[in-house]
Amino acid sequence: MITFEGVTKRYPDGTVAVDDLDLTVPSGHTTVLVGSSGSGKTTALRMINRMVEPTAGRVAIDGDDVRGQDPPVLRRSIGYVIQQAGLFPHRTVADNIATVPRLLGWSRRRARSRAGELLELVGLEPEHADRYPHQLSGGQQQRVGVARALAADPPILLMDEPFSAVDPVVRAGLQDELLRLQDELRKTVVFVTHDIDEAVKIGDSIAVLRPGGRLAQVDRPERLLADPADDFVEAFVGYDRGVRRLSFFPARDLPLRSDVIVTAGDTAADARDVARRAKEPWLLVVDSRRRPLGWVAAEALAAAADERDVADLDLVGYGHVFTVSTDSLRAALDAAVLSPAGRAVGVADDGTALGAVAQTELGAAIWAVGGDEHTGAVSRHG
Amino acid sequence: MNVAADVASWFAQPENWRGPGGIPVRFAEHVYYSLAALALAAAIAVPVGLLTGHTGRGGFLAISLANFARALPTIGVLTLVVLGMGLGLVPVLVALVALAVPPILVNTYEGVRGVDPQVTDAARGMGMRGREVLARLEVPLAMPLILLGLRTAAVQVVSTATIAAYVGIGGLGRFIVDGQSQQIIEQILGGALLVVLLALAVTALFALLRRLVVAPGLRSRPASPSS
Amino acid sequence: MADPAHEVWAAAAPLWGWAVESARWGWQNLDDPVGPLLAEHVLLSYASVLIGLVLAVPLGVLSVRYRVVYPPVLSGVNALYAIPSLALFFLLLPYTAFSPWTAIIPLALYTLAILVPNVVDGLNQVPDHVRQAAAAMGFSPLRRLLQVELPVAVPVIIAGLRVAAVATISMVSVASLVGLGGLGGVILTYGFARNFAAPVVVGITLSVALAFATDGLLVLAQRALTPWARDRGPARRGGRGLAVRRRATAAARAGEKGAL
Repeated sequence: MITFEGVTKRYPDGTVAVDDLDLTVPSGHTTVLVGSSGSGKTTALRMINRMVEPTAGRVAIDGDDVRGQDPPVLRRSIGYVIQQAGLFPHRTVADNIATVPRLLGWSRRRARSRAGELLELVGLEPEHADRYPHQLSGGQQQRVGVARALAADPPILLMDEPFSAVDPVVRAGLQDELLRLQDELRKTVVFVTHDIDEAVKIGDSIAVLRPGGRLAQVDRPERLLADPADDFVEAFVGYDRGVRRLSFFPARDLPLRSDVIVTAGDTAADARDVARRAKEPWLLVVDSRRRPLGWVAAEALAAAADERDVADLDLVGYGHVFTVSTDSLRAALDAAVLSPAGRAVGVADDGTALGAVAQTELGAAIWAVGGDEHTGAVSRHG
Repeated sequence: MNVAADVASWFAQPENWRGPGGIPVRFAEHVYYSLAALALAAAIAVPVGLLTGHTGRGGFLAISLANFARALPTIGVLTLVVLGMGLGLVPVLVALVALAVPPILVNTYEGVRGVDPQVTDAARGMGMRGREVLARLEVPLAMPLILLGLRTAAVQVVSTATIAAYVGIGGLGRFIVDGQSQQIIEQILGGALLVVLLALAVTALFALLRRLVVAPGLRSRPASPSS
Repeated sequence: MADPAHEVWAAAAPLWGWAVESARWGWQNLDDPVGPLLAEHVLLSYASVLIGLVLAVPLGVLSVRYRVVYPPVLSGVNALYAIPSLALFFLLLPYTAFSPWTAIIPLALYTLAILVPNVVDGLNQVPDHVRQAAAAMGFSPLRRLLQVELPVAVPVIIAGLRVAAVATISMVSVASLVGLGGLGGVILTYGFARNFAAPVVVGITLSVALAFATDGLLVLAQRALTPWARDRGPARRGGRGLAVRRRATAAARAGEKGAL
């Protein structure tokens, strides 16, 4: 656990970077410090490993003031990842990763084999070990940066805008990778970013800092989106926070209708019966292995000859589907909005159709979670 | 082309290769003065450049002094020391060291200052101490520029060491100065050619050194900081 | 117990005496020989640097346009730089005698080793999009060179000029060994030959002062020629560092060899 107690950083020219910060970073969780430039988020992060010393207050790790330790010794026990990785250009990838183990006096062989493990852990190939940083892509460099920070297995990982210099696609991949790693490693991660979406995706809790280095709000991401403490936080998280908040609620409780499904081989006459019983204007046509083929409208069925196979009728594309067991309400809503039928197709993990949900039912489910944020929040690590 | 033939015949004369005034001895003297001056200058300039570059303190002063030394006329420094201490090796060394310090100092300092601050930040953040940052990061990363400074200084020293002849000691400058006073053009040319060859050898040596000393990860990158 | 301040003063006193004596000698001999030789120093060094620049710009332009030209040009100017100045002066004497050309030709050739790489770097620094925009607007290659590329390269070229000017001004004195060295004449003829320190100090001081004044003039010239760069100058963090780095690179280039 990392604690900030009344921590202030004031520079000689009078600028206040961090102002009376009280914050607890629980062990084994990812805490994101988010704020615009000048909010002191990086300064706060750098006070944990004493790259910056506070003017007032106290930073403690598990109750011990960080100032009780020699900075280099302290830093060797804390992983540190920065923007653009800061890799040593004159050393191979393996040597870069082995930096802290070597500083800690590990043998060359042990450090080298540890570097090999870490390459694998961060999803790089063994042959990358002997390359030089400039021979890697930006995303690969950043992975090496993470591997280097993890090399001596520190309990704490400090990450200062680690993914902000790579393009959005690569960034999303790195974020997923970090979530996967954190699932496995359960480090105490302090992550600085100016990107609220990244914060929401990565963080178990988010601390929003306002310009001048004052803490505006600390909360779990779904709480932050549901209930911003003030106008500043509300503006900062953005006005589509309502929709984004749906990411935290599971789709598995949605009332899926399986009685609207017809299978290829069924005749138009059978399908008309199904539609009548279901009282639905759209039916979902699936193939013999229950994979969705498309929607057929009740009007199209009415016009079709009795013996025609439903799969041969004019089908309307089903857009994209949501996976019932793992996706969120946001994914289901998105699927429904994009579907021409106004309905989202829910599938099992193996892609077989489980049923469909219409926008009206989705609306009811969304309305239901609006009043109660505490139940059913998706654990993105579970 | 008869000048070239004259020079060739000057090189061909066996007596020019013999005795204390022969080519091998003069060449060795020249190398000795140059090497001594370069070693002294490096002993002064490299540590000062590394230290000011690493700490960021005193850099302006060091660079200003280097610029001052660059503006000093070598003949003036030589004369002043000769007037103070008489003819001999010391005035030559002082003048050559004053010539060699600025390029080494400026390049070493800039080499260290030019290290990406992100990289030193990462190094400190991982727990490297100041001297470890200097030794494991800044020195290897500055090495291409340090070598460039040393090479520049070496070429200038080799070429300027000819003035040693003016204060009564040896070196390849003797051929030039004596050739002038005796009006033997081919001897002036021969001496100058030997100096140029030595300078080229120095350059080749530094190219080799670069291969040996500069970390492989840096070799495929430009030698000087591109702005 | 000796008072340390007193000791420092005692050590400095002879230096002070020396300075006073030198200043007096310089003042008394201002009309002859100090003034005229200073003027000669200015003439020789400025002419050399100017001629060097006039040669370096076309060489640099050619090297940028035809890339194969650059390695041999670079090797050539660097080999020239390695020739001892003394030898060049002596070798020119039979042809140019005691005319200023004996000093100017070698010194101008030496500046090429500094100026050509700087012209090349400066031109290479012109961003590609600027070059293409100029071409798209219908600039002919020559106009583009004169009105777009060279002006953008000015800061780097001037950085090279500053190094070349300081180096040349300090090197002119060597030419006094063939009777043509400007302030070197003050040093050798009035100092060395008469075993008298004051003229040597005067010669060194004026030579250094001339170098610094010239450097200052070039800085002013750069400010005048590149008004667009003024606001981004030293005030910004790192601005000065960049300028220093360019000079260092320029300095480092002196004597740099290309492919051997």
